[in-house]
Amino acid sequence: MADPVLVVERLSKRFSSGGQPVTVLTDLSFNLAKGESLAVVGRSGSGKSTLLNLLCGLQVPDKGNITVTGESFSESVNSDSDARWTELRRRSIGVVFQQANLMPALSLEDNVRLRSHLAGHAAGHERGWLERLGIGAEADRYPDQVSGGQAQRAALAMVFAMAPAVILADEPTGSLDRNTADEVADCLFAMQRDSGCALVLATHDRELASRCDHLLDLSALHLGGTD
Amino acid sequence: MMLVRAFVSHYRRHPFQLAALALMIVLATMLWTGVTVLTDQARNSLFQSEEAVAAGVHVVRTDGRPVRVEDFAELRMAGLCVAPWLEVRRPPPAGRVIGIDPLAMGCFGKAAPGGNRGELDGAPFLDISAAVRLAREGYDSRLYLLASTENETLPQGYALREFSLGPSTGELADSFLLNLDALSLLVLLITGLLVRSVHRLGIAQRQDSFDLLFRFGVPGRRVRQLLALELVVLTGVCVLPGLWLGTQLAAILGGGFGQALNSLFDVNLYAGAAESLPWQAAAVMVLLVLAVCLVDWLVPRRWQRAVSSARGRLLAVLVLFAGLAGVALAPDLAGVFAGTAVVFVAAGWLTPGLLALSAQKLSDGTDLDGSGPLTRWRRRELAVMFGHLALPVVALQFAMATVLAVQALVTTFESTFDDWLAQRLEAEFYVEVPAGADAGLAAERLQNLEGIGPWHRVTRGEAVISDEGAAGEDKTAVVDLFALTPVSELVVDWTLLASMERPWQRLAQGAVMVNEQLARRHQLELGDTLEFRVADTEMGANIVAVYADYGRPAGEILVSGSALPEDFSARFESFSVNPGEWAMAEISEQLADVWNVSDVTVRDNASIHALASQVFGQTFLLTRAISLLTLVLAAVALLIMSWVFFSTRAWYFRLLGIWGLPAGAIHHQLRRLSVTLTLAVTITAIPLGIWLTWVLVSRINPLAFGWSLPMDLYPLFWLELGLIAVVTGLVVAYLMRWQLVQRENGKQVKS
Repeated sequence: MADPVLVVERLSKRFSSGGQPVTVLTDLSFNLAKGESLAVVGRSGSGKSTLLNLLCGLQVPDKGNITVTGESFSESVNSDSDARWTELRRRSIGVVFQQANLMPALSLEDNVRLRSHLAGHAAGHERGWLERLGIGAEADRYPDQVSGGQAQRAALAMVFAMAPAVILADEPTGSLDRNTADEVADCLFAMQRDSGCALVLATHDRELASRCDHLLDLSALHLGGTD
Repeated sequence: MMLVRAFVSHYRRHPFQLAALALMIVLATMLWTGVTVLTDQARNSLFQSEEAVAAGVHVVRTDGRPVRVEDFAELRMAGLCVAPWLEVRRPPPAGRVIGIDPLAMGCFGKAAPGGNRGELDGAPFLDISAAVRLAREGYDSRLYLLASTENETLPQGYALREFSLGPSTGELADSFLLNLDALSLLVLLITGLLVRSVHRLGIAQRQDSFDLLFRFGVPGRRVRQLLALELVVLTGVCVLPGLWLGTQLAAILGGGFGQALNSLFDVNLYAGAAESLPWQAAAVMVLLVLAVCLVDWLVPRRWQRAVSSARGRLLAVLVLFAGLAGVALAPDLAGVFAGTAVVFVAAGWLTPGLLALSAQKLSDGTDLDGSGPLTRWRRRELAVMFGHLALPVVALQFAMATVLAVQALVTTFESTFDDWLAQRLEAEFYVEVPAGADAGLAAERLQNLEGIGPWHRVTRGEAVISDEGAAGEDKTAVVDLFALTPVSELVVDWTLLASMERPWQRLAQGAVMVNEQLARRHQLELGDTLEFRVADTEMGANIVAVYADYGRPAGEILVSGSALPEDFSARFESFSVNPGEWAMAEISEQLADVWNVSDVTVRDNASIHALASQVFGQTFLLTRAISLLTLVLAAVALLIMSWVFFSTRAWYFRLLGIWGLPAGAIHHQLRRLSVTLTLAVTITAIPLGIWLTWVLVSRINPLAFGWSLPMDLYPLFWLELGLIAVVTGLVVAYLMRWQLVQRENGKQVKS
């Protein structure tokens, strides 16, 4: 394996539910290299979203280490780790949700421009990213003026415009019909390949998961190749 | 039952929204009740005071000595209707009390002062025996004998005089009441807007539930019935504590208010705290809440849509100009009030859209270098907020404009009144000429006192003017006549609204001056010849000046005493004296000697001035307090609304955090967003406030009272309001940040 951009070592996370501790992740470890993709599947409540939250620093593990592009984090939390996670999310980690990825007050182009700006890129290529995703004509429209599929393409344009090292996608096609979902997934994988970034994709969709290089079934805590 | 449960499930999940609506109804009721109770008390007190002293005259001894109990006995034995009125002045906060004899008052044919309850309820009216006990404790006291105007013949040695315990300021009281009425209406308007805004936000958030109920087969009419029922129950529950709080507010504010009325207007708050809850105010509030919350069902949807359409905005501009023209040109008060209401409606209609448009334009023009994209986002969010928070934004704008206008009016009033009072009380002392005494002899004696300062003799009486005017309208009127002998240097600094050259010299040579009310009422101008009759003498003189005045609504003519005809009968005479090298006690002795009385009544004008100024400040404390409370209510409403509204936008701030914007930078954006919002409202409130000030001083006052006030601007108030806006914005930002932190505790990014 080439140098990994994402290293997860013995990651554990527990919650308290109704006063009872609920273990979501136990001693989870995996590596992901540049250009690789990992599908995270599992039943509802198995910890897919929690894992993605941990991988971008929005939640803190009870145990274990996470290393992203050489930056290493443990279960200890301090202002330094907060600042490093924030910087990573800003420049190196792109996050895509099932919906509500866009600022409703901004046009699609301005959304891409804002995300790109936060990542430290100069303005000027926003419309190009939208065109590459097939929604250049919708650049001046607002999120509530486009379809769900177009909005998800815009969300992908935002992520790729920031040139991330890792993309974390949480059910990115979950709210779309089959055809639209396939189109969005095609865009996602094509551009991930082009950009060479790593992809962690949480999904219920086994067909979508099968398009990734690796599969992590949290229900079975099994990590292995898809084929 | 299940339907009701499903219906209210929203508030079970969002109890804060229910609490916010309830709180807003309670606060609105409190403010409205407080204003209503105080205004009613002021009006009732004025009415009762007029009733109490309706006789308008009291009996004085012609030898100048104060009346005593023996005089009362003698007059009663002579079969005359007189009643003792023992005034005892105690230092604040006890204040003045008045001892009266209800039995003696009975002959006046009306109830005794203190109301129609047939009993005395304590301060300021006491039974005369209690007042006598206070007088014997050493407090300054004076006995008056009120008399009925029906008494035509008095025993030898007595005369009737007008009963007045202080300067006549009836018009200031009327002006004050008019201000309170206007303020009450504005408070009602603002509270209505605030209640509607909170209710509408709740309805918007429950719309999905209503849609679901509709899909489950519940008719829309049934949903509306339940909504109305919910609102009736909530209003019924919330109005009661609001009423109680309002009466408490009135009781707190009423203390200073009562003292002010007592001292300045000779009006006493007889009733003190409200005897019962003001149910009329409650009924108005219930109707208001139901009307503002349910108006959407009464107004056709296409009308509602038209309001926010481009054609609707054009119509609003036309309405605005119509209102402005109406206020400027209306010939009467009703027209001015109607025009003002129209302007406010148009302003409220246009403001949120204009602010949103401005934010949008600013956003479009944002330089996209540097932090441009983030700035563009913030400005777009601002535009969205202006749209969604339209009602509380308008309410805050109205409240701020009201505060600005009231502050400017009060400050102008204070400074003008202070100047006016200083001019009228220019002399150090004021000596009342006793009944039957010869003022001419006293003038000769003063003339011969070497080293005495400036002095003049004041003679008051009546004149009749007859001005048929161009339209042939008969404008014959009895006006006050005010004569000065000589025209001393004590008056030469008077504020003259218009004058010819050397007006005071011309006055001494036989010209006249008129007060503003007379000039306005009869369209008199400088250089006009004023024809008037004094006693049986027809007179005519050039008008050389118009002077500012805040009393004497009938109008007043100022002449030199030397111009008065022989047969003129003075209604009142006094001397204004600066003693110069003499002690005032020595001058008093001289005058007592001339008039052959044991003592003369001398007033220290400086202390009167100080007291009047102090009391005037107290009078407007109430107006200021209510307008500030309205502002606080509007600000609180904006806080609540912003907070609730923010719960629908919090995700997008959280998204910024997910995109890697540090928490400090997000909070900075929050602060800028909320402070910009409140400051922008302030900026729109300033022109409205200035315009409202102009309406009050230049349109309402002249139409209501015949005199105007100068139109002064007070930029310091604008800064104060800006500071309040910044503080409000920061508190909103803090609440938003708190909400954001609360949500972040969950650390859930699952969409």
